[in-house]
Amino acid sequence: MSQPSETLSGSAHPPSKGVKWDPVVRVTHWVIALSVLLNGLIIEEESQLHNWIGYVALAMLALRVLWGIVGTEEARFSSFPPSLSKALAYGKGLLRGEHPEQRSHNPIGVLMVYAMWGALAVVVATGIGLEVFHISELEDVHEVAANLLLLLAFGHICGVVLESRLSGVNLIRNMTFRRRSRGPE
Amino acid sequence: MTETDARPTAPTRKTGPAPRRAGLLAALVAVQAVCAVFFVADVTADFTWDGADAHTAFEAVIAVALVLGVVFGALEIRRTLDRIRRAETALSIASGALAEVIETYFDRWGLTVSEANVALLTIKGFEVAEIAELRGASASTVRVQLAKVYAKAGVASRTQLLSLFIEDLMGDDLMGTPSPSPD
Repeated sequence: MSQPSETLSGSAHPPSKGVKWDPVVRVTHWVIALSVLLNGLIIEEESQLHNWIGYVALAMLALRVLWGIVGTEEARFSSFPPSLSKALAYGKGLLRGEHPEQRSHNPIGVLMVYAMWGALAVVVATGIGLEVFHISELEDVHEVAANLLLLLAFGHICGVVLESRLSGVNLIRNMTFRRRSRGPE
Repeated sequence: MTETDARPTAPTRKTGPAPRRAGLLAALVAVQAVCAVFFVADVTADFTWDGADAHTAFEAVIAVALVLGVVFGALEIRRTLDRIRRAETALSIASGALAEVIETYFDRWGLTVSEANVALLTIKGFEVAEIAELRGASASTVRVQLAKVYAKAGVASRTQLLSLFIEDLMGDDLMGTPSPSPD
């Protein structure tokens, strides 16, 4: 038996806040996250599995870039151009307790997401250069970019947790696959 | 609607088949993207080491087809998601409109808070016994309140009460049929 709602139009659950990410964003996000975690911290660098996971990450990155061109409005690159001044303004606002509704990534998240995609692209490109074309000079670049990517990923997680706390919007739930109650947005 | 087939509606909406379809499509396109990358890598490697032969050419065709498949798959997901969102927007506008209509009528009839609550639950399809349980009141109290609602609204039954709101939403010009007077 369901409880009667208090208002005429509202359901018993308040509508979820924040951007409701589409399935392509979610799938690419989590497969890339898993790939980075596995290849960066768990799988041996010399193993064939390391290469395969690298290709999977490349595929997800390519799909996300394609989705950034033809995808849903909030997923398109045109919805989140990087801007340092906007990021600073947004950060100051957060500290003052303001959390304006976002249509896509928030201005700080924008910088983070481009940085991570950039680092991932470098890691994948140098990885292919190393494995396929045997350019051993790329070894150091691959290593440094991979560590940078892990560092950025860590910063990304901290940022998400911190911003969820500050803004009261559960950003993690908005990226996972659990069913959300859907209200008018 | 009769007294027996009216079921209480749950306030939460479940994820329908359309969003699930979009999710499935996304997963499929992701797998396809992985295959495309593997094939493109394989073709590139074959072409670099072995040169162009029939085998490589065939593989190249497959690789191109896979890449195109990913692109069109992505476009298809976009279309599906757009459709879902349009439907959701329309639904929320419609439910907002219905809520407005209901509220206007309740105000006009001068329902008390309890009566409005009982009326709303009745419109939602709850039975007298269920309303009594939800409100922590006796069934006879609810029945009396409901009778007052009907009297104030000038209707004789739940069906007539419902038809008031539905009629407003449909609009006269839509159906072109005369509507029965509640009196």
